[in-house]
Amino acid sequence: MKSFLRNPEKSIAAKLIIATGLLIVIVSFIFWYATLKKQEKDIMSIALKYGNSFVTFAKDSTYHSMLINNPGQIQRVLETLGTPEGVQGVRIYNHKGEILYCSHKKSIGTIIDKSSVACAGCHTEPEKSPALLPTPKTWSVYKSETGSTALKIVSRIPNTPDCYTASCHAHPKEQEILGFVEADLSLSLLDEALFKQGLALTAYVIVFVFAVSLFLGIINYKIVTKPVQALAKGMERVAGGDLDYSVNIQSIDEIGVLANTFNEMIKDLKAAKEQREKWTQTLEDEVAKKTEEIKRTQQGLVQTEKLASLGRMAAGVAHEINNPLTGVVTFAHLMKKRFPPDSEDAEDIDVIIEQAERCAKIIKNLLTFARATPSERGQIVINNVIRKTMSLIKNQEKFHNIKFDLNLDDAVFVANGDGTQFQQICLNMFLNAADAMKLKGRISVTTRRVEEDGKPFVEVIFSDTGCGIKEEDLPKLFEPFFTTKPVDKGTGLGLSITHGIVKHLGGSIRVESALGKGTSFFVRLPLTEQKT
Amino acid sequence: MKKVLVIDDEAIVRTSSKRTLAPEGFDVRLAESGKAGIELLEKEPFDVILLDLKMPDMSGIEVLKVIMERWPDTKVIIVTGYSTVDTAVEALRLGAFNHIEKPFTPDSLLAAVQEVIDKQG
Repeated sequence: MKSFLRNPEKSIAAKLIIATGLLIVIVSFIFWYATLKKQEKDIMSIALKYGNSFVTFAKDSTYHSMLINNPGQIQRVLETLGTPEGVQGVRIYNHKGEILYCSHKKSIGTIIDKSSVACAGCHTEPEKSPALLPTPKTWSVYKSETGSTALKIVSRIPNTPDCYTASCHAHPKEQEILGFVEADLSLSLLDEALFKQGLALTAYVIVFVFAVSLFLGIINYKIVTKPVQALAKGMERVAGGDLDYSVNIQSIDEIGVLANTFNEMIKDLKAAKEQREKWTQTLEDEVAKKTEEIKRTQQGLVQTEKLASLGRMAAGVAHEINNPLTGVVTFAHLMKKRFPPDSEDAEDIDVIIEQAERCAKIIKNLLTFARATPSERGQIVINNVIRKTMSLIKNQEKFHNIKFDLNLDDAVFVANGDGTQFQQICLNMFLNAADAMKLKGRISVTTRRVEEDGKPFVEVIFSDTGCGIKEEDLPKLFEPFFTTKPVDKGTGLGLSITHGIVKHLGGSIRVESALGKGTSFFVRLPLTEQKT
Repeated sequence: MKKVLVIDDEAIVRTSSKRTLAPEGFDVRLAESGKAGIELLEKEPFDVILLDLKMPDMSGIEVLKVIMERWPDTKVIIVTGYSTVDTAVEALRLGAFNHIEKPFTPDSLLAAVQEVIDKQG
């Protein structure tokens, strides 16, 4: 409400109210003016009627006295007629304008104002010629000396046979008009009545304009302003992002239809926004997933490349060491022959030979890691190899205090490759688990089918209840010569060999470990077929 | 006396081979490259050739091809590091008689050479 009073140019309601208000004011003014004029005219015609009656009455009252030529009687009658309130004067004058009788005695003998209606009512130029107006006028309204409005009314005294045959012989027969009776009647009472009526009418009109404007304003506010404001507020809220807002307009007119359409539009907008947010979320999730995949692949690639580089280096070193080692082995054997077989010297040389052979074995393992042993093209029946390996080691002293849990899937998983290589993987896993558990605990092996990039894989999970692996050691786990075992216990090649074989078989290996709880290795190998 | 030619760029391998075989009654000649080995072969025939596969100037496979072409009856034993086992297989396919892995022991070397001699009768 306040806003349209402050800025009417910004408010439809204000414009409508101003427009209708103006219309009402104009129409009311026209009505008011027309009514006032009509009243004035009516009153004037009544006043004229009474004026004419008065003048006729004055003429009739003096008629007899004129016939008998009794000037004193005429003068008295006029004086009597001039006494009532509102009669300012009544006089009789001749054709030259000379006052013969008057209610005010001192005016007798004076000449009337020839510019007044008394002369100008009939003559075009009263002072110069006797020419007559086509439509003579017998009355006029003027402002009297007291400031009030007055009516001057003139009536001719015609020359009748009674007049020119009267005994006084004052007038000849040819004279048409004998003189004029003129009366000045005050209209102040009528003015006052008219003023009061005008005042009342003005008050009525003002009240009417105000009432109609107020009524139209209220109707306008209810029907237009309020709903439009509600719509504008709704649009403002929606523009501000509040899509739960709805406009509550119950009418069935155009505004109601507009509000319903607006509410429907908000609903659609909300649905579209939710859909868009859903898509955005899906997209973000997808991007996050892909980023994670890329990151993982990248890490895998870096790790693989790192291991490959290490492998190449190890292979080069190992190959070069083979030559001097050949010399060491050969010459140790040659030296040994110089001593008696059971001598201490021969035994010392045996140590050299043993250690040289150990070196050769390490190198062989290193080369296995560097480039997996060329395998026989065959098929690995995963579950069978696991069972076979387990039965091989179970009776060894190292595994006496270790329990085995086999959770092998009923399906027959078959992977391409050399069974002995997979057996080596299993063996490495069991040996590492036994060491991690300090030869006491539980090893479980689980097999299951998994999908990776739409391709079938068998996942073999080797879990132990050992000491676990420190987080900082996890990235180095598959590097050659990395070991947490005492120097004489492990070469640090077992897992790197395993890694090499798994890669060679087209699979992957990853590890999960919790310190103090145990470790799980997840070996994935591509499946060739799955028999059920 | 059976004649053995050792072609290897590594002096210690050549020496080890000679010290293993000479006492057993073999006439052992040494060549430090494939080229030197072929030059020796051009001068005289050998019963057994111990050929290293990984050599700088001329690879063992190239030398083997030349030998198999020019002296097809000569028996060649490939001496290989583990990493070149693929090449060893290739060598056997090209006509090598056998292969032994480095580091070899005197016994394994003797056994391999003896096997060739036995086959030759």
